[in-house]
Parts: sequence; C-alpha cells; structure tokens
Amino acid sequence: MKSRIHTVLVLSLLLVCSAFGAAEPGGNGDSIQDMQCGGACHGDASINETSSAILSLTSPATIYVGIPTTLTLTATNLEPSSTRLIGLFLLTDMTGHSDTPQDAGWEILSDVNGGAMNYIEQKLSPGQNETSISWVIRASTLGSTTFHAAIHHGGGSSSPFFGTTAMGFEVSVEPVPENLPRLAADFTPPTLRELDTSTELNIQTQFTDSMQFEWKSEDGFITTSLVNSTGDNSWTATLPAALQPTTVQWRVILEGEGPQQTTPWFTLAAEESSWEVSENAVYLQAFALLFMTAGIVITLQTRLTPKSTPSKYDETPVVLEELALETPPSPTHATISDSTPPPLPAAGLPIGWTEAQWNTYGHDYLAGKYGGGQL
Amino acid sequence: MISPETFHVVSTELVVGAFSVAGLSFTLCLLLHLGILKQPSWSPVFDHVAHFTLAFGLAATPFAILSGLSSAPGEGLNSPILVNKMFLSMTGFGFALGCLITRWRLGNNVWSTTKSTTLHSASGLAAVGSMLLTASAGGTFARGESLLDILHLPYENVLLFPMIVSATALLLGISMLVLSWKRMNALSSVH
Repeated sequence: MKSRIHTVLVLSLLLVCSAFGAAEPGGNGDSIQDMQCGGACHGDASINETSSAILSLTSPATIYVGIPTTLTLTATNLEPSSTRLIGLFLLTDMTGHSDTPQDAGWEILSDVNGGAMNYIEQKLSPGQNETSISWVIRASTLGSTTFHAAIHHGGGSSSPFFGTTAMGFEVSVEPVPENLPRLAADFTPPTLRELDTSTELNIQTQFTDSMQFEWKSEDGFITTSLVNSTGDNSWTATLPAALQPTTVQWRVILEGEGPQQTTPWFTLAAEESSWEVSENAVYLQAFALLFMTAGIVITLQTRLTPKSTPSKYDETPVVLEELALETPPSPTHATISDSTPPPLPAAGLPIGWTEAQWNTYGHDYLAGKYGGGQL
Repeated sequence: MISPETFHVVSTELVVGAFSVAGLSFTLCLLLHLGILKQPSWSPVFDHVAHFTLAFGLAATPFAILSGLSSAPGEGLNSPILVNKMFLSMTGFGFALGCLITRWRLGNNVWSTTKSTTLHSASGLAAVGSMLLTASAGGTFARGESLLDILHLPYENVLLFPMIVSATALLLGISMLVLSWKRMNALSSVH
C-alpha cells in the first residue's frame, strides 16, 4: 500500500513539474510561426490562460498590389511576466496551421526588430503596459485578406498566457494606378547590416523621376541623405556606419508623373560580423578530445584493475567449498596451542615428561600428533 | 519529412534522458561499492542500468551532433557556443566509450578495488557531466538561457589548439587506445 502511495506521489510530482516547465521564459526568438506555436508549441494548449491584452490592427486606407504597405499592431492592457517578454504574431486566419501571411500570398519585407518574421518578441520596459509594432508587407494578388494578431507571454503563475484579436481586420488589395511612382515589384529591402561599415542601399523603382531618402535612428530624429541616380529607375543612398548593435529605419519619397508616393519605414538592424573559425581545426580537436579521453580512461582503468583475474573456467572456489563440506571439523592449531594448559591424563604425566613440557606440547599429545602415537 | 530541428530535439532528449539515468546509476554504484549505501543486492541492478543507459545515450549522440549541425542557423560552425558544444559532446563521447569498453573487457573486475571503482564511476559521471553541459550550451544558444547559467560558464570563449597540437593529441589518443586494448585483452576473462 505504501509503495502505491509513493508511486502516485511521484507521478503527481512529475505532472506538476511538467506544468512548471511548460513555457519558455527566455523566449523563442523571432521566427515564422503559425498560431499553433502560440497556443501549444511550448506545452499543452490546454494549460494556457487567456491574456488580458487588447490587440488591434491598423493599415493605410488604400493598399495596392505589389506595393509595400505598413500593418501596425497595437497591444494594450499588457500584464507580462517578470521577464517583461511578449511574443506577437501576425496571422491570416485562426485555424492554427498554415495561417501566416506568407500562406495567404503576402510577403513580409520588414519587421520592427530588423528581420522579416511574422512572430516578433519584444521586451517591455518596467511599467510599460502597451506597445505598438509594425510589419511592412506586400500583396502579390488582388482581393481581400483578413488579418489577425495574437500574443503569447508569461504571467504571475507558471502557465503561459495566450490571446488574439477580438475580430479579424480585413484589407482589400487594389490594382496599382497607372504611372504611380513606386518601388520595383522585385525590390526586397535588406534587413541586416554589419557594424562599423556604412551601408549603400541600391534601390530600384518604377515610374520615378526623382527620389528623396530619409532615415531615422532609434531616437526618432529624421535625417535626409543624398541620393545618386545610377541609371533609369535605379538609385543609391548611403547610411552611416552603426557603432553598436541598433536599428535604423529608412524610407523614400518618390516623385514622377503620378501622385507623390512615400514608402513605409523599412527597418535595418546592425549586428556584429559573423563569427568565424577554422572548421578543420575544430573537427580535428574534437576527435582528438574523443580519442584522448577514451584512451586515458581505458589506460588508467586497466592499470588500476587487479591482474589476478580468475578465468570463467576456474572452478577452484566451488571445489574448495565442496571439500570444506566433506571434511569433518578438526581442532585448529590456534585452539590446540591455546595458552591454557591441557588437562592431565587420568594416569598423570606421561613417563619422562616435565610439567613445562606438558604445558607446551600437551595439546599435541592429546591430539595424537606427538611422538607418532595416541594416548 | 521531419525537419532537422525536430530531429535534433528528439535525439537530444534521448541523449540527455539516457545520460541522466546513467549518472544517477553510476552515483549509486559508487556509493554501494564504497559501502556508503548498505544495499549490496542493488549493485548488479544499477551496474546494468548505468551501462545500458550509457550505451543507449552513446548510440543517440552521433544523431544529436549531426542533426544539431544541420539545424543550426547559418552556415556551419558560426558561433563559439556551437564549437564548445562540439568539444563537450565529443569529450563526453570519449568518456562514455572508455567506460563502456572497460566494463565490457574487464567485466566485474572494474568494481573489485576502491580505486578502480572510483575511476570507473568517475569516468561514467564525467561522460554524463559533459553531455549535460552540452545540453546546457544548447539551451543558451537556442533560448539565451539555461538551468546551468547559475555557474556562469564561459560558452562564448573557445579554447582552440593549433592543428599540429590537435593532430599530436589525436595520434596519442589512438596509440593509448591500441596499447591499452592489448593490455586489456591480457587481463580480460572474456575470450
């Protein structure tokens, strides 16, 4: 009965531990994720609690096919965990799978963290309970799409919290007016650049006669940079070097025969140059470590293990045991040579024996081992 | 088709789980053979469990290493954490291999003296420790945090030897393996 109670207790403890380990308080990193991840990929969806966050999506009134546009998510009433980390999703349906903007024919050109992901993590400042982030997206087909947003975060308890927009946000994609100055349909803005080097952006446009280039750093101050034309509808602009990992945002104002157009703010993150190492040296050292550790262990073990190893055919212990069972017990030398003097025979000391001799050799005499005869 | 990321999670869970059980069993073996734990009848049980789980974890380790390299973002070894993971996992592999080979060739004699018992358990526990550190480095790489962060381990620093030193160490290791293998065959009761 006791063992059963112990088993139940242990299993209960393990189940409780699984709930504690369900969420990832350190986040999972920006990535392309469907809603199923927000609901369940860090644990059972049934352990999620409903987030108190209120999410709302906004976009420009008119969206043209093939032209980048901004979709902004505003999250209010946030109650994150002590890590202040939240994860925000941009989705195109709520089925839980195949629901990313890419699945609906949209392309994410830029996100607020300097990538092109639909799942973004943000760390809120102490006391901050609302945030607003934007994605720059581009439609490849005409028609309407309903966007949703979702949020995933920790909270006061060990359970993860999950929430979605109350209702979908529908956008209609219209055909592009003729001669509208715009970025080229195949232009993809860079999202990353290296530290300590200035960045030259090559921008391709359509129906554009002139271009103005603006950029702003994290402090929000907008700066205008010189633009050089490198050909028909081809331009270059230079961003100054970043001295530390940070993001800048840039946009262009396009002028041509059609009405003036301003692109969304594209985010460009600066990061340290990638770490490099000689892979051959790493693999060689790794195998050297393998063989050295194995060699040292085996060498030491063989030296410390006793050499007198009985063969599996050696039956000596069994034979000795059997012999011990067959031989009747006999007085041992220790008992014979006991310091207590042996008892004298009824006839007294043997002839010619002194008392001192009897005390020393009397036991042997009584055992018949002395003088070849028995008493 | 299963992605390398998912396969890496599966294989690392197998490795970490198996090695964790092996670590617990080696600890109990050590306590039993040193007489600290007074349950001699448990010795064969934990002896078998320790070596079986160690062998199982060892079999899963190459899959974890290869899937880890495939699933890492970017090209090849582009992070010092990945290099340290490689070194730790191969070191653990070596400890586990040495431990299993000695148990196989020397049999129960590895438990015959206090010194050999301590060494055998220590090599098994070193294998377990290396693998758990590897898993911890993986957590730091993927999620930016790990349970062993309290130890403030320098995952961002790599101790990379010149290739000539590594090549010498490799030859030395292989030589030790060959010589000790011959010596083991002389001692072994397994023919």
